[in-house]
Amino acid sequence: MSETSMQNSVKEFLKDVKKALPDWLKDKKEHKGILADLEEHIWEKARELSETGQPTEESVRKAIDHMGTPQSIAKEYKRRGTPKVYITAEMWPLYIKVLTVVFAVIIVLNAVGLVFNVLSGTVDLGQLIEGLANGIQLGLLFSFVIISIIFVVLSMEGYFPEDLKSKKKLKEEKKRIAAGKPPKVFIKPVGEIIGGGIGLIVGIVFLVQPFPTYMFVADFLLLLRFFGILMIIGGLVDITRGVIGNRNPGTHQVIHVFKILLKIAAIPFLVVLMNRPEIFPWFSTPWVFVGIPAEFYDAYRIGMIVLIVIVALTTIDDIYKIIKLESYKLK
Amino acid sequence: MIKKVKGMDSEFQEYASKVESEINRGISTLCILSIISQYAEDGIYGYQISKDLHELTNEMLIIEEGTLYPILRKLEDDNIIKSEREKAGRKRKFYYITEHGEKVYNYLSGFYSKLTEAIAPLFDVIVDLKQSKYLYCPACANKIDITNLDAKFCDVCGHYIEKDLKERGLRNE
Repeated sequence: MSETSMQNSVKEFLKDVKKALPDWLKDKKEHKGILADLEEHIWEKARELSETGQPTEESVRKAIDHMGTPQSIAKEYKRRGTPKVYITAEMWPLYIKVLTVVFAVIIVLNAVGLVFNVLSGTVDLGQLIEGLANGIQLGLLFSFVIISIIFVVLSMEGYFPEDLKSKKKLKEEKKRIAAGKPPKVFIKPVGEIIGGGIGLIVGIVFLVQPFPTYMFVADFLLLLRFFGILMIIGGLVDITRGVIGNRNPGTHQVIHVFKILLKIAAIPFLVVLMNRPEIFPWFSTPWVFVGIPAEFYDAYRIGMIVLIVIVALTTIDDIYKIIKLESYKLK
Repeated sequence: MIKKVKGMDSEFQEYASKVESEINRGISTLCILSIISQYAEDGIYGYQISKDLHELTNEMLIIEEGTLYPILRKLEDDNIIKSEREKAGRKRKFYYITEHGEKVYNYLSGFYSKLTEAIAPLFDVIVDLKQSKYLYCPACANKIDITNLDAKFCDVCGHYIEKDLKERGLRNE
């Protein structure tokens, strides 16, 4: 057998091993080292098995046989983590975290939908509650099944949570640990204080209304006051977060819960505003003196729906932050 | 081992082979660790580990040679061993036991030795634990080298071993 032919046999085997390796390992440069070690092993074994001390067709074939199948090698790499109900103990906290976030999102979206339907008055309460229960039930069941399947597969493939992080993030974390630095900051205090300050000023303007109020409808001014109160509270909360800074993650978690309640509290007022376009300045005297065509009302309503959805979605961000802050508490 | 035998009842062979590989799994890791610890200073590379494993176990402990590397990687991930690649030449990867690994190995080796001693009567065999060379911690089975006469406590569980050493006449009353 020619040298090229022997080399091809080895290459073929290594190619099969590479193909069988789990993806998390293939993503790392390390797999090249693994293949190099296997290659070195095969040639050394082939030299030993050969009578002449030089690899032969037979000795290379035998050496490859001794290595085991590419699948058995890959299986050993996948055998990682401590088994725990089909999902490894290492992947378990991430599994619970993902389930919590997805469940929270489903519940929030359904609750927002309920508030929205109650205030639009299109469906009776019994149907609404039934719809809410069904929506939550189906959403939870569906997401539970999908997420569980994903995590079982990841566990079987030997994934660890760090394999799902980007290389850049892992590098940063390694550097930080090596330097013995505390965990990365989770808020920018100055930004929070400035943002909170702006919210506070706008809120005070809405509440005190230091402008010619005769230009607005009384109901709109009342709604503006409610928004003003919520914005003042929100602004104060953000300033408090800024003052606390990157300390006491537990307190930040409580503040995020409070922010979620504030955001949910704003939704009914937005729904009222959506349902009464005639009180909005652009559509009411003295801003407009002619009758408003219906299509403008529809466009306005769509705009308000988008706004309500954005407010609802920002609560998801708060839920995510509450969960993320948990890791800062542990470090 | 049984995989090598030809012309056997396949059901029996399959079952025996499965149990055999289950028994081998933990033992082979321990044996690999034992070989690496013997090369503490110079380190040892993959192929040599596999060769030693075959020779020192009279070819009884057979592992598919390719599966040695995932085992080594796991041990490295767990900080039991560390590795260094040759900078020139064949650029082989040399493995060394870490301080933590040595402690783990001593414990596991002690546990395994005591276990084999305990189960020996079940198989009608005799196991000699070389008690003159080692003390097996009465609390955790950690293997303590008694040539180190300064040791007063088990470095794994903190058990006070002075009394046990006195009983063996290795400490003055």
